[in-house]
Amino acid sequence: MAQLSLRGIRKRFKALEVLHGIDLEISHGELIVFVGPSGCGKSTLLRLIAGLDPISDGDFLLNGRRMNDVAPSRRGIAMVFQSYALYPHMDVYENMAFGARLMGLTKAEVEARIADAARMLRLEPLMQRKPRELSGGQRQRVAIGRALVRKPELLLLDEPLSNLDAALRSDVRLEIAKLHRDIGGTTIYVTHDQVEAMTLADRIVVMNQGRIEQFGTPRELYETPANTFVATFIGSPRMALLPVTRDGSQLGLAGSGAVDAGMQIAGDERELTLGVRPDGLILRPANAATGLAAKVVYTEYLGDNAYVYARLSEGTLVSIRCSPDTRPAPEEDVRIDLVPGKAHVFNRTSGERLPA
Amino acid sequence: MAPGGISPGAASPAPLPHETLKMFGSPLTGRRLWIAALIVPPLAFVALFVVYPILSAFAYAFFEWKGLARGEFVWFANFHKVLFQEPYATWTINAFLHNVFVFFALMVLQNGIGFVLAYCLWRELPGARFHRIAVFLPVVLSTIIVGFLFKLFLHPLFGVVNISLRAVGLGGLAMPWLGDDSTALMALIIANAWHMVGFPTLVFLAGMQRIPGEILDAVRMETQSEWVKVSKIVWPLVAPSATVVFTLLFVGAFNWFELPYVMAGLDGSPHGATDVLGLYFYRTAFGNQSGGAQDFGTGSALAVLIFLFIAVVAGFLTMYLRKREIQL
Repeated sequence: MAQLSLRGIRKRFKALEVLHGIDLEISHGELIVFVGPSGCGKSTLLRLIAGLDPISDGDFLLNGRRMNDVAPSRRGIAMVFQSYALYPHMDVYENMAFGARLMGLTKAEVEARIADAARMLRLEPLMQRKPRELSGGQRQRVAIGRALVRKPELLLLDEPLSNLDAALRSDVRLEIAKLHRDIGGTTIYVTHDQVEAMTLADRIVVMNQGRIEQFGTPRELYETPANTFVATFIGSPRMALLPVTRDGSQLGLAGSGAVDAGMQIAGDERELTLGVRPDGLILRPANAATGLAAKVVYTEYLGDNAYVYARLSEGTLVSIRCSPDTRPAPEEDVRIDLVPGKAHVFNRTSGERLPA
Repeated sequence: MAPGGISPGAASPAPLPHETLKMFGSPLTGRRLWIAALIVPPLAFVALFVVYPILSAFAYAFFEWKGLARGEFVWFANFHKVLFQEPYATWTINAFLHNVFVFFALMVLQNGIGFVLAYCLWRELPGARFHRIAVFLPVVLSTIIVGFLFKLFLHPLFGVVNISLRAVGLGGLAMPWLGDDSTALMALIIANAWHMVGFPTLVFLAGMQRIPGEILDAVRMETQSEWVKVSKIVWPLVAPSATVVFTLLFVGAFNWFELPYVMAGLDGSPHGATDVLGLYFYRTAFGNQSGGAQDFGTGSALAVLIFLFIAVVAGFLTMYLRKREIQL
């Protein structure tokens, strides 16, 4: 059982503050992903939870107990490092046994836990090998195994896929998701890859510049991003942001005409930011009655669908998801319309989402 | 002691055909000429001043000597004399046992403390930058200077050690450190440890700095015991550094000469309490005021035995220590 509370967590390195008050409640059994661009503070936050760096300010509670001053080894937390950090002088068995023995378990218990982990991670044939005799994927599994034998209440994974090749990455991703379900603990996973975050997480913490931008399920983040940062960070190809002027339900874009928002927009600001994803746009011929005027730049054919990239008159490049049969010629004039209910509207200055 | 060992390794790739120029019928390239020009002089130097003396010592050891004049070929008589004939045998054993003691004492006082110092410097305790320099500074001093310095420190009347003891009311402990059988050798060992401790410290520190930070983080996730961290993770991972400092200390301890020569004199005073193989060899081969005439034959036999002992043991030691090393 692991339930985490982070309350007003701040981290300073000398004069530089890198985390500016993180508040987070994580319930038992969740798989939480911290995602954000490099330097956003996600790994720092993970190290504070692990206890590897001291918390400058705020409280970290694990199951209601304040952990700020508890040594890393006493927190009931295990961590898988980006470089795996296996002990190079110990074989696979010893790597897993080292931490378990230090917990004061009986010899039989240590053996049993290692056997369990080895079976779950298919490590049995590798037990006598040294880390340098293993492939990247095997080292990764040993690192996870080493964490599992300690039966942690909370498992931390720091960019565990970043050192694997692309083909292996999706396999290991699935394994981690399955492992999390099987062992049923709480897991925190750090990545800069939003696809990893979307596919794995129960809930995602999107971080930027030492702050949490949004905390929610993958679906919430995709469908109702809290601000333009989350909106453009989540989803691929990324959401296009258009500076529009409101006139009733019509949203006008300089030089490209106007479109109907197809929804109620709160507030009364006239200057707004319209966010549109590829699946929220429809490509129409140049002579269509509605839509924003644009010029096709190029088309990405992906087999099951195609993305048409078009430039609006004011210069923004938007991508539109189309059927794979759509092959507009470059430089062709087209019109782009909104799918009703799929537009996102943000405050132009603050970037905050305007409720529909 | 002269720590330091450089193993040159040179490989020359095959010459390109267009670079080949015929000189006296043998193909020589510009590159090869350069390599030859750089290698031959030092090689000749080493041959003349290292290989030749060693080989001639081997040869000298089998002859009888009268002063500088070579006498008859006497087979192993000189070796027999050094090992089994009195009073030489007693002197040999006495000096050898002192060397053994020096080796083990320095393993603790020099390499042991060096490891601890390296660990402290590595953990970036306050003032680490200052201490890093302070610890290494004595190493660059000449052994002669360190020897005279410690002789002054340990002077029975005017030495800073005894003056300090008297000043804090421990005058009863003040004693002639270098003049007393029971303390003289230990005083020399401490002087050597002070002088050279920076060397193992530096080598261990370099080894520790090669350990990836995430491995240390991983250990911290599993234990908070500093002892477990050091003994189970740091120590095995600095094995290559240990190989270097252990082997060099072994060679240094059995070749120990300068410091005892400066501080205790050729006789290993008092009463042979600080006599080591280096002093004993020098005395025997070249003679001294109290010990009588020079005897190249006996001295060379001694030198050959010391050389063989060091070479064989250091060889096995290195082989054993290499096996402990792992690739990071």
